[in-house]
Amino acid sequence: MKPRDSESPVPPAARKDLTVKQRRAESRAVKVAALKKKQAAEKRNRLIGIVTGIVAAVGVLALIIAVVVTNGTPKVSPDAIEINGLQNYPDTIAGHVEGAVEYAQSPPAGGEHAAAWLNCGIYTEPVPNENAVHALEHGAVWVTYNPDQVTGDDLKALQDSVPSTYSVLSPMPDLQSPVTISAWANQVELDGVDDPRLQDFVDKFWQAGDSPEPGASCSGGVDAPGRIA
Amino acid sequence: MAQVIAAVLAAVLLLIAGIFLGRLVFPVAPSTPSTTSAEAGFARDMQVHHQQAIEMSTIIREKSDNEEIRTLAYDIATSQGQQAGQMFGWLTMWNLAQASAEPSMTWMMQPTLDGTPSDMGSASMSAMTMLGMATFEQMQTLKASTDGADAMFLELMIAHHAGGVEMAQALLERSTNEVVTSLANKMVLTQKSEITYMNELLSAI
Repeated sequence: MKPRDSESPVPPAARKDLTVKQRRAESRAVKVAALKKKQAAEKRNRLIGIVTGIVAAVGVLALIIAVVVTNGTPKVSPDAIEINGLQNYPDTIAGHVEGAVEYAQSPPAGGEHAAAWLNCGIYTEPVPNENAVHALEHGAVWVTYNPDQVTGDDLKALQDSVPSTYSVLSPMPDLQSPVTISAWANQVELDGVDDPRLQDFVDKFWQAGDSPEPGASCSGGVDAPGRIA
Repeated sequence: MAQVIAAVLAAVLLLIAGIFLGRLVFPVAPSTPSTTSAEAGFARDMQVHHQQAIEMSTIIREKSDNEEIRTLAYDIATSQGQQAGQMFGWLTMWNLAQASAEPSMTWMMQPTLDGTPSDMGSASMSAMTMLGMATFEQMQTLKASTDGADAMFLELMIAHHAGGVEMAQALLERSTNEVVTSLANKMVLTQKSEITYMNELLSAI
């Protein structure tokens, strides 16, 4: 038969001989042991709590950063593009007329025009304004260059940098700048064939902006002499 | 006390985490026009309208030897074809059927943005003829015509454009959707300009 208090430090046979003092010391030791156990548990729990809290906070921070990063990448809309020196002509009218037209600016950036549009492409001779303006109405850009200033490798570079569709490239003798790019009701004089504003202008105005009929055809119209592409 | 603070802090952190997780997983999309909206009605009906203009233009382009009319026909066919594509694309992006569950032009019966009731009159009126569409018989006559083809094309197309302008204006009175109103505005300007040009061509025949 198993003795009842087998945890007692005093051998069972000697139990009834413990003095009161010894018995009190024994119960105090038990209480101290229990308290130490409780304190160890509390310390462990606090540690667990702190670590969990840190992990959670880091997780929340990571989430916030993820949302901010995925939403924060700016989407550049054409409206937001700013071009230094851009000229805008808000009163540009449209309409089909016959014969020569006197335009408000040179090169023209819109206005009345011929019934036949100029086919988009690369020309090595000056093109008729009245047909080119109709191409502008259809959303094309018209890049004109001064043939005395833009030659050889520069000319080749310019020919490579214009869009392959919805674009007219042609020389314009006595042009005030080396290169000018125009769309319907908008144009900018560029410094040269490497001017980054050419691409900005294309981004903002090619087949867009103020052109009355973006998407209308830029082929099936008329060619002008000197078309090479 | 410390435990209460810890519990409150944990709850707040959980809430913040939940909000951001939700935004990541379910991004909020802006609302788009409904299937009974003016925008959807315009997109569907104007495609039909444009398609007849393309058909008329193709007929005259093959038949006529008037270079100005042939060029105009090519211009109308290609530009209106592209515009029809734009409108088809809108309906796709808006997750709407290309087909309407309502009769055509129903959207034009809606009151305008400033509350004016539609002036379309009773629904029994032939909406299509009113909006410049040629009848089946007129199209057959155009296909069969020879000497009178040029004049007939111009007369039909002038009426067609006038109807198109009316439809675009009806949309402009009923919508503030910038993508849709932008195209409708361009249609009004371009088609009015072409009406003027076609009247000149007609008087020269």
